[in-house]
Amino acid sequence: MKLRGGYTVQMAGKPVGSVEVLPDPDELYLPLFSRRFRFTELCVGDGDRVRPGKVLARDPSNHGVPLLAPREGTVRLNAIPRHLVLQNVSAGVPEPLEDSDEPSHIPRNLGSVEMKRNKLLLLGAWQYFFDAHSGALPNPFGTPQAVIVSTLNLEPFLGRGDVQLRARLKSFTRGLEQIQTLLEYQPIFLILPKVAAALAEQVSQAIRGYAHIKPVHVPLRYPFDNFTVLARYLGLKRQKDQPVWALRTEGVLALDRALTASKPCDLRVISIGGPAATSPAHVVAMPGYPLKTLLSKRIADGPVRVLNGGVLSGQEIAPDQAGLDCECLGITALGEQTEREFLAFVRPGAGRWSYSRCFLSALRRPMPERMTTAIRGEHRPCVSCGFCEEICPAGIMPHLLHKLLYQDDLEAAIKVRLDLCVACGLCSFVCPSKIDLCGQFQKAMETFRMEQMEHMAQEAPA
Amino acid sequence: MKLLERLLDRTRGAFAEGKRLHRTKPVFDAAENFFFAPISRAKSAPFVHDPLDIKRLMSMVIIAILPALACAVYFFGLHVLAMVVVSYAAGGIVEVLFAVVRKEEINEGFLVTGMLFPLILPPALPLWMVAVGVMFGVLVGKELFGGTGRNLFNPALVGRVFLALAYPAAMAGNWISPVAEPPGRILQYVSSGAVDAIAGATPLAAAKQGQLAGLQEMFLGNVAGSAGETSALAILLGGILLIMTRVASWRIVVGVLGSFLLMETVLHYTLPGPIPPPMWQLLAGGILFGAFFMATDPVTSPATTGGKWAYAIIIGLATALIRHLTGYVEGVMFAILLGNICAPLLDEVAVAVRLRRLAHES
Ligand code: SF4
Ligand code: SF4
Repeated sequence: MKLRGGYTVQMAGKPVGSVEVLPDPDELYLPLFSRRFRFTELCVGDGDRVRPGKVLARDPSNHGVPLLAPREGTVRLNAIPRHLVLQNVSAGVPEPLEDSDEPSHIPRNLGSVEMKRNKLLLLGAWQYFFDAHSGALPNPFGTPQAVIVSTLNLEPFLGRGDVQLRARLKSFTRGLEQIQTLLEYQPIFLILPKVAAALAEQVSQAIRGYAHIKPVHVPLRYPFDNFTVLARYLGLKRQKDQPVWALRTEGVLALDRALTASKPCDLRVISIGGPAATSPAHVVAMPGYPLKTLLSKRIADGPVRVLNGGVLSGQEIAPDQAGLDCECLGITALGEQTEREFLAFVRPGAGRWSYSRCFLSALRRPMPERMTTAIRGEHRPCVSCGFCEEICPAGIMPHLLHKLLYQDDLEAAIKVRLDLCVACGLCSFVCPSKIDLCGQFQKAMETFRMEQMEHMAQEAPA
Repeated sequence: MKLLERLLDRTRGAFAEGKRLHRTKPVFDAAENFFFAPISRAKSAPFVHDPLDIKRLMSMVIIAILPALACAVYFFGLHVLAMVVVSYAAGGIVEVLFAVVRKEEINEGFLVTGMLFPLILPPALPLWMVAVGVMFGVLVGKELFGGTGRNLFNPALVGRVFLALAYPAAMAGNWISPVAEPPGRILQYVSSGAVDAIAGATPLAAAKQGQLAGLQEMFLGNVAGSAGETSALAILLGGILLIMTRVASWRIVVGVLGSFLLMETVLHYTLPGPIPPPMWQLLAGGILFGAFFMATDPVTSPATTGGKWAYAIIIGLATALIRHLTGYVEGVMFAILLGNICAPLLDEVAVAVRLRRLAHES
């Protein structure tokens, strides 16, 4: 399928390209729950002194991916609910990689490819992999039909690939080579921006010799970096035992670190941006970094919504989350709406950038807007304006789905391909009737999956 | 501003649950939200929203109609303004009543209907007929279907059909001959009582008698006709604004006008008897006004892109056919209503086609 729809929200607070390395904190608060993972299987005891790279906990439902200690410290299990705390943190000497540290479900005689994959898993690099169709963690010992490597992060505002690439181009290309060694002959699609950028040119030069790596250029429009959208664009169908693996720049860098240097992946480049960020930038931080320290002075005073991820598909950071989780790509700060605008709808709107061209701003060049959490209007019934259909990157019809779900007809909604929705959030963003289409679709999909599971559970004993 | 905000704050209590005025809360809410955008924050992703809302969308339509309204007042006099006021008042009452009964918000959609309706009527129509027509249109055309967003037919057209059936004589007369020299009829008030002296014939009606109005006259609006359709120039001004702002679908406008011109060309060369050339047909009657303002109503047109094309072509062809093959002089109204009826069906077909294409996606 061709790339269709999409839209880049013009918002103030884009992080600058420089990367700031933060000093180590005294304590680390490692959340045991993140978007994909739940590290419920604890591997250390209260009071243990652990070295960097030590497996603190595992997620048994996700191929046992480990939660690693980023630094040396003393474990506290019950200091903060849902977190594992490391006290008296110091740099420490890394934990040696033990051969015996082998999850039970790995076959005994590991070939070199399996060894490598096992290494990825143990050193925390496997967490950067996604199943392009479902977004879940793929099986590290499975066989993919293809790998998508995306250098793009188009949602405002997540850690940009180019920022991470700039200093570590060599490591990146070596990482690509390493991916190749994990595979047999499957292609690697390298997603590059379709603009003349010096960096993209350098990357293209660097991979010229690799036969398996196919560069793919896509326009810089959200959400063309979405793995599901890309998989459909590349014609990679969902197949049961042959998933499409996908990873981003940071994944390739982590993989290179794990396989070339045999070091655990303890640091992440994350962005701190958004209209309510005082100095939007990229920082290097480790999982567990105390959010309070991380965000103080970086976020404006007053009521602010702090999001884990971008403004379109991120999640609000729960008030009880104390430290950076191990999947965070960026933190976005958005001011709460506090003022009621007077006669907002008759103002010319030179300062309001809109997808439609109903504001005076249509006559000028795109400009970043200081947005808030305001939904900027009142809820109304759908007027069939068609904006949601135009903007939807999945090529489905959000207004129709909305109508069907409103009538509680989940079955019909699935028939008109609710399952293709990639939860990009653009339809809700653009709807003038302020219908929460995307949220409604997520809930419906949730119900659908539950029903399916029940169905399967019923069929199994028969 | 602050004063107004305080006033609203103080009166809000009177509409609270259990108070005597509680039933009219939608009226208060509408008034309050008219002045001050409400505080409503996003609860889940996406956390930011586009600034466009329904109020703005409807305002754009009203702004786009203003040139046509100005021309109507200029050529036909102040009675047109009185018609707009009456239409708003009468339609507003129905809208508010239904909002109160249903305990829903008052919808902005009727602001557009109330403005469009008088502009598709003969400019000297008695005011009470305007009131009856708009009430019927809003009630039957919209509220009985469940309100804005759920209606099948364009409410303004439903009101007009009703008037055409109930008062055929008044709807066939009451045309005013325009005055072009400044200041036009801008200082006159021509109502149905005074119309006989200056009655005019619409270009389409005159053409059946073999008299063709000049192209330039029709372009500027110096011809008799429904209030809003008189000046092609004014309609184009507003219509192009609507398309530039993406409020109206360009596909519908291009589809209607394109297919209309095509059919007119065919008829011009095949039908016996004098049929004026296509360009003349385009400027005469309500086809331009209908294409830009009535057919593009998003609620009553198909939502899918494919459906929009088909819908537009049906309207364009039907207008031309009704004009020449039936006893009616003008066919836009019935053509658009026909399109409205077909819209859900066209959507269904378009959806089926789209699904066939999506079926292979995993
Ligand atoms: S954007 Fe909103 S109002 Fe427009 S068609 Fe979609 S759901 Fe309906
Ligand atoms: S329907 Fe899904 S994929 Fe389409 S715009 Fe909405 S959230 Fe994005």
